[in-house]
Amino acid sequence: MVDMHTSTSTRTHETTRRTSLFRWRTVDLVSVAMLGVAIGLVFWGWSQLYHVISAVATVAFPPIAGLLTGPWLLGGVVGALVVRKPGAAMATEVVAASVEALLGNGWGLSNLVVGAIQGAGVEIVLAVLLFHRFGVLAAMAAAAASAVLGGLYSWAFYYTDWAAAAVVAYLALFVVSGVLTSGLLGWLLVRGLARTGVLDAFEVGRELADRQAA
Amino acid sequence: MTGLLARSNPLLLLAWAALAMVAAVAVRDLLTGVVMLALVVGIGLVVLPGRSGPRLRYLVVLLAALSTGWSTWLVGDRDLVVAVTAGLRVSVLALPGVALAPLVDPSELADQLAQRLKLPARGVIAVTAALQRIDLMAETWRQVSRTRRARGGGPGRGPVSQLRHLGSVSFAVLVATMRQATAMATAMDARGFDGADRRSWAELGPWRRSDTALLVLGVVLTILPYVLWWSR
Repeated sequence: MVDMHTSTSTRTHETTRRTSLFRWRTVDLVSVAMLGVAIGLVFWGWSQLYHVISAVATVAFPPIAGLLTGPWLLGGVVGALVVRKPGAAMATEVVAASVEALLGNGWGLSNLVVGAIQGAGVEIVLAVLLFHRFGVLAAMAAAAASAVLGGLYSWAFYYTDWAAAAVVAYLALFVVSGVLTSGLLGWLLVRGLARTGVLDAFEVGRELADRQAA
Repeated sequence: MTGLLARSNPLLLLAWAALAMVAAVAVRDLLTGVVMLALVVGIGLVVLPGRSGPRLRYLVVLLAALSTGWSTWLVGDRDLVVAVTAGLRVSVLALPGVALAPLVDPSELADQLAQRLKLPARGVIAVTAALQRIDLMAETWRQVSRTRRARGGGPGRGPVSQLRHLGSVSFAVLVATMRQATAMATAMDARGFDGADRRSWAELGPWRRSDTALLVLGVVLTILPYVLWWSR
């Protein structure tokens, strides 16, 4: 009985999944927007601290800034893990970056471009995985790609004339920090949210319910 | 201080911030940097309204410029001119966007994005609806934090305890946010949001001639550093 139930529901998920990958339900749109705004608030709080911390931390060893920038990839990772559709990462990250900019930080509206670039990193990895893998490794790989693109942006605009070794060190630290604070933490966050039941309208929530039922 | 920008279209503000980024790429020598920053500051003084957001934000740009300049000196070629140029480039990049950000009215921008640029209406409306919840989210944050403290679950003095408190309150706010999102989506669909083929909109703010003039000015200012760069 239990077995039958699980297998039918898995099959239903497979069919809904294939037909609805590009179709956004209202709850997908609203959730991405709400996640974006909430994470934007967190970004803003972090940016206020970052401006001071980074100015102090980078006096002796500038590439250390990469360690501090990891949390900014959270929007893309969390948005994609919850909604699991092409564009979710990009939309969540851009909304979060816009909210941060509108509340006021030291980068202003250039934040929108940075958000789009970082969101693109997550999208690329998930597209390679055909929007079919959303486990912890996928989340960490997505964060790593997002960090590389974000780091290249900083290199192009901010750290253009750094020595190559320093740029590489900065990129490496950004990737490490992004993988841990956005990839791993984002995945844990979404799993935690799913356990509370607030993601029941999404595949990630249903998967968890199915597993608990089995 | 003409305050010309106080009445301008929000799309123009976005365009100017984007153009500033394109211009910043071409700031590769000291002269270009000095000229561009002087123009940005000068034009800002003319077109910005007298009161537009906290002044502290300019200090943050200055801090970022100094920090970037210093780091470029330290891990670059230890060349003062190159370091100063890097600081100037960062200022040209960020200053316009930082100055303009408080002038952007989110719901007006949403109207322009959906009606003038024809971005997908459902997405734009969803984001606008979410933005209206921002105060509610901040209030939820305060309430959860206060409740934790009142029940003896507040943070201690140590940074680890503070961080844990911050994490647990953020998580609670996210749970509340997602619960609202689901409820909101249900309410919107109950009113036919998903399948609507015709929508009514607020009256669209105008794109004035002054907006076109300012856009042209922005484009010219963006080309200028490239001309200066290539003429050397």
